[in-house]
Amino acid sequence: MGAESTPLPSLEELRALARAQGVDPTDADLEGVLGFLGIVLPALRELEGETGRDVPPAGMYLPDREAT
Amino acid sequence: MTLNSLARAIRRGELSPREAVQDALERIERDDPAYNSFITVRAEEALAEAEALPEPAGALHGVPLGVKDVIDVAGTRTTAASKVLADNTAAADATVVARLRKAGAVIVGKLNTHEFAWGASTTSQAFGPAHNPWDIERICGGSSGGSGAAVAARLVPGALGTDTAGSVRIPAALCGVTGIRPTTGRVPNRGVIPVSWTYDTVGPLARTAEDCALLLDVIGGPDPHDASTTPAAGDPCLEGIGRGVAGLRIGVVAHLFHDVPIDPRVAAVVEAAIGELGRLGARVERVDASFLRRAEVVQQLVMLPEAAEAHLPWLRTRLADYGADVRARLLAGLLLPASAPITGQRARRALALEARPLFERFDLLASPEMPIVAPRIGEDPVEVAGQSLPYRLSLIPFNSPWSCLGVPTVSVPCGFVDGLPVGLALTGRRLAESTVLSAAHAYQQVTDWHERRPPDPT
Repeated sequence: MGAESTPLPSLEELRALARAQGVDPTDADLEGVLGFLGIVLPALRELEGETGRDVPPAGMYLPDREAT
Repeated sequence: MTLNSLARAIRRGELSPREAVQDALERIERDDPAYNSFITVRAEEALAEAEALPEPAGALHGVPLGVKDVIDVAGTRTTAASKVLADNTAAADATVVARLRKAGAVIVGKLNTHEFAWGASTTSQAFGPAHNPWDIERICGGSSGGSGAAVAARLVPGALGTDTAGSVRIPAALCGVTGIRPTTGRVPNRGVIPVSWTYDTVGPLARTAEDCALLLDVIGGPDPHDASTTPAAGDPCLEGIGRGVAGLRIGVVAHLFHDVPIDPRVAAVVEAAIGELGRLGARVERVDASFLRRAEVVQQLVMLPEAAEAHLPWLRTRLADYGADVRARLLAGLLLPASAPITGQRARRALALEARPLFERFDLLASPEMPIVAPRIGEDPVEVAGQSLPYRLSLIPFNSPWSCLGVPTVSVPCGFVDGLPVGLALTGRRLAESTVLSAAHAYQQVTDWHERRPPDPT
């Protein structure tokens, strides 16, 4: 996973997002999420750059024409 | 006795279904306190069902089996090893259970799992850890850890697990049994608690590839009423199990031996197993497939939000009842950017396109199933080749590529390190389970790793 610096949301922003979905996590929960996002968000950014813009999303299982 | 041998013995009248089921129940009662592989044992129901089996006998007539406790069995609780579902009773059989029953199998119980099938340790806070029969101080892997332990300990001759990111293959490797993740969509998921719609599949664990073939033939195949199944059935597996590996092209996935952390002793055991396939006539060649490392993040980007969505009602009302590790992953999935799963699915398609030439060039890919042998219960991080790593991160490079591609992959017992089992992963093209399992069977005809027995628990 990538390691470049990516801005992370604050605990309060995460809490608001969780509450908007009806979920009420603790501070400890959200700190765990922040740690995870610190790894995943740079990797997501990297993947966005690597994946051609003309590639559509795969479905639940890959269609036969792309079968390996 | 293997599953196929037991099924033949019952068909020949050498023992009755009731005797076979009674024997399994006695083993469970005697030995499972040491393993905690079962969450629920259906003793009375199983004996009654064994006595009431209809004729003519199906392929699994009277064979006692266990199923992971995320798979519904009508009238029996499905707990997912979680406090959240501790009192949840299934109203109907999952499709795979209905298919097993139609073939004459008797479900003797529900097997321990990592909470909600999401983790690789099977150390449920609500139901206790499952213990590895080779060393009960160690984990049996997961999430289908109870399935791996119960088969390794000879409590049942076969079991069903589920696999999203390695959950059949990992316990198979760590417990020294055979387990196959089928092509995504080959086996119906209806009646199975989901982790991630994109990656989930049911898969069998048994002592031999031949046994897995029989189970997969029974549970696989399209279900027009289930959108999780592919329309194509795939070749039957048991019928061609003896065709060997002569002439097959096997690509050895080089980066999984050298470029990611792996215990060199595990790597050496797997290399030796691949050498055996070469001696059997396969054409073995190393291949650079390091682009597959992208699967590690691709899988997370899709799996986390899908799991969060599946759990949303319980996240709203039962958040505190989850174990800390699963709760953290679910919340991460809930709070990822909306673009994450879409980027993940686009990258997954790109990965499949890039992998296509690999599967055109090779009939099978060979790699280690795990970088280490079973860690001690509670040992996390683990040490891998001198590096300290979170246990879960250590195994992702070995498992996520095949989940992302949706291709069949089997873990075959291939040796021991420090007295603990090691698994060889053989991966094939979509719906080519018959090739994967026949290669595993060929290997098991010239080796006896799958016949080794764990020590007596007493």
